[in-house]
Amino acid sequence: MIATVWRVAGVGFSLLILLFAALLYGATPDQYAFMNSQVGDLTIGFAVRTDDLTVLLLAVVGVIATCVQVYSLGYLHQRAASYHALVTLFTAAMVTVVISDSLFFLLIGWEVMGACSYLLIGHYWERRDARSGAVKAFLMTRFADVGFLFGIFVLGLGAHTFRISEIDPARISPGVLTTGTLLLLVGVVGKSAQVPLQTWLPDAMPGPSPVSALIHAATMVAAGVFLIARLYTVFSASGTTLTVLAIVACVTMLFAALCASAAVEVKRVLAWSTVSQLAIMFSALSLGTADGRHAALFHLATHAAFKGLLFLCAGVLLHQVGSAALVVLRRYTRRGKLRKALQVTFLTMTVGLAALAGVPGFAGFFSKDTVIEAAWEKARDGSGLGWLVLVSVCLTAALTTFYCLRLWLWTFFRTPALAGGIGAFEDGDAAADLDEPDSSKLRDAPWVMLAPLVLLAVAAIALGYADGVHLNWMIGLISTALVLLGALPAYSLWRRGADPRPLLLEREFGADPAYHGLVVVPVRWLAKLTVAGDRDVIGAYVRAVGRTGTLASQGFRRLQTGNVQTYLTAAVIGVVALAVLAGVIGS
Amino acid sequence: MTTALFSVAGAVAVVAAVVVVVSRRIVHAALWLVLALGAVAGCFGALQAEFVALVQILVYVGAIVVLVLFALMLTKAPMKPLPELTTGRSPFAAGVAAVLALILGAGVVFAFGNEKIKPVTDGSAKTVGTQIFKNWVLPFEVLSVLLLAALIGAIALSQRKKED
Amino acid sequence: MPLVLPLLLAVVLFCIGVYGVLARRNVITMLMSFELMLNAVNLNLVAFDAWRVDEATGQTLAIFVITLAAAEIGLGLAIVLLLFRGHGHVDADAARDLEEAS
Repeated sequence: MIATVWRVAGVGFSLLILLFAALLYGATPDQYAFMNSQVGDLTIGFAVRTDDLTVLLLAVVGVIATCVQVYSLGYLHQRAASYHALVTLFTAAMVTVVISDSLFFLLIGWEVMGACSYLLIGHYWERRDARSGAVKAFLMTRFADVGFLFGIFVLGLGAHTFRISEIDPARISPGVLTTGTLLLLVGVVGKSAQVPLQTWLPDAMPGPSPVSALIHAATMVAAGVFLIARLYTVFSASGTTLTVLAIVACVTMLFAALCASAAVEVKRVLAWSTVSQLAIMFSALSLGTADGRHAALFHLATHAAFKGLLFLCAGVLLHQVGSAALVVLRRYTRRGKLRKALQVTFLTMTVGLAALAGVPGFAGFFSKDTVIEAAWEKARDGSGLGWLVLVSVCLTAALTTFYCLRLWLWTFFRTPALAGGIGAFEDGDAAADLDEPDSSKLRDAPWVMLAPLVLLAVAAIALGYADGVHLNWMIGLISTALVLLGALPAYSLWRRGADPRPLLLEREFGADPAYHGLVVVPVRWLAKLTVAGDRDVIGAYVRAVGRTGTLASQGFRRLQTGNVQTYLTAAVIGVVALAVLAGVIGS
Repeated sequence: MTTALFSVAGAVAVVAAVVVVVSRRIVHAALWLVLALGAVAGCFGALQAEFVALVQILVYVGAIVVLVLFALMLTKAPMKPLPELTTGRSPFAAGVAAVLALILGAGVVFAFGNEKIKPVTDGSAKTVGTQIFKNWVLPFEVLSVLLLAALIGAIALSQRKKED
Repeated sequence: MPLVLPLLLAVVLFCIGVYGVLARRNVITMLMSFELMLNAVNLNLVAFDAWRVDEATGQTLAIFVITLAAAEIGLGLAIVLLLFRGHGHVDADAARDLEEAS
């Protein structure tokens, strides 16, 4: 009953967001401040605004949230009430971030998103990996949020206002500007899982797949991109921050794309690809030009469509097959079952992967080309930053195609190689494939889950043309060449039934063990030290007081002899002593 | 004359009192108590308080000491000397008593060192009786009630309980 | 006669009584020591009466004290008898029923 109420409320709320986006489309930008309070010479309070950015993000969030809510009706049966309530709250928090014009109001939505992501990643809290993944996500984003909070302070105090629309970078001293934006960047890096705070996102995969879709497509990680786009005038006024952002983005996109090439689970591949694609958006933003901002937002919208689609497809695999690990999926594929049983999923996932890879004609192709074009414009002016971004994005495009094709082929197609490529994912354990999987019950998902897939698949193609096609043929050609460059090795490896995964990539460059050694172990030592200090130093004083009392009372018990004469003697001595004392004082 | 009489009686009282508290035979101690109390009665006499001295002899020597002797007999007090009649604390108790005596004696000497007693003869029964029944009637009556209460209390305490 | 003489005698008798009460093991001898202390008080009363040349107030009080002593010894000996009946002895040192259990 309660679950039904929340289901209806969740879908209704998502549709309401869509309605608002439709109503606000084309309206003149406006702002409204309320509940302001004067603190010293600063005004702190709430403010909302509407402009193109808000409408764009509202539309994206509304579409993805609606798809996710409807999809979840079929996907999730366990603890549905709390799940739908949290997803709704999560969406509402993202909407808060999108519409707010006050840095503090934005912070509220930002933090509520962090809490909701923790709760949703830990939805299957019976599982150990879900619990640890949730805690990891919470700790890392919270660590980054400290920087974010201080960034708000620095920027707000420097600009003498906490209204985003009133912050004028020209009136802030350069040092304050750089400090504030760098601190904000820490929060953004944590929220959007960029290097060096990237490890939480892949580990958040044990959460329900629709939640992954929501986090990766529309909320949470997109919030970082949105924030920089929102504060673009401020960020672009600080060259240092843009340089740092560019370096972080370039390192992250290559790092994540390499990690995705070695991942052996569908959702993990997709998670790393999200990190990589976000980095592309950041690199576009780091160009500091209007073209760059436009490219980033374009890519954000198309990415939301195809990444949401891909995660929902992965959810179908999880729901119908029971696992999204390649080693399990291969058992069905080798017998030619998966593609035939899950036809709609196969088709939509193909569209999604093609869009992600940037195959010409799909949405990802156009948005990625916009980024490359913006970087080329910048690089042509002789900017080293522009060249860095250009080269990185091109390399990443090739890598993206590589891992997309690898995923597609290995998941859905039987390799022509000997014995169907046994051993590629079984770690040499050929016996893992011996048991015949029960594929008689394998069929496609119910229509409530497939409808969002189809809708998003249409979006993943159509969004590319939404901006008007103004293709630079030169860049289009280069991009297509890059796609082919990435596709060829993937195809040839698949044909040979081999999937070489360098150890370094499979371990994701050892980031997790390094953090464990650098942060977790010292913190645990500190915790142990604190516990020991509490128990052996502070507790010792407390226990000593108690022990002293006990010992003293044991001593005083001896005085209670029961002998009347002893008592009398003590009384007489007391009288004598009092007399002596009186004499001493009197004299 | 009175001074000499008092001194002799006082010396006897002190010696007898010391024997009372150090004697190892309880019955002897009771008998020495008779002597000490009698000597104190002599002191009263030397101070021209004849009625008090007589009452002292009558009540103390005649009644109280006899009562004590009865109690000794009832509690089967041995006649032979008992080495452990005093407790192990006796040196300590002696010290306490000595200090007390020092303090009190010093106080008395400091306060009344130069005062003299003039021999006045007003200790007759008539004078005391007049005082009791003129000024102290109410305390006297209260005291008689107290005596009655003590009598009843002593009977109640020493009564054996019934077997049931 | 100097006033100090009976007063000092009273002090000495009182302190002997104190020693007796504190040091004697037998309850009856403790009671005897009480009598000695009471006598010392009486001696004080009579001596101050003689010194003040009063209307025999001190002597009256001394008689009251003697009466009180009679009442006290009566009750005290009753208690001693009770103790003897209960414990089979009249040893103040050994009567430790109120001792703290160890």
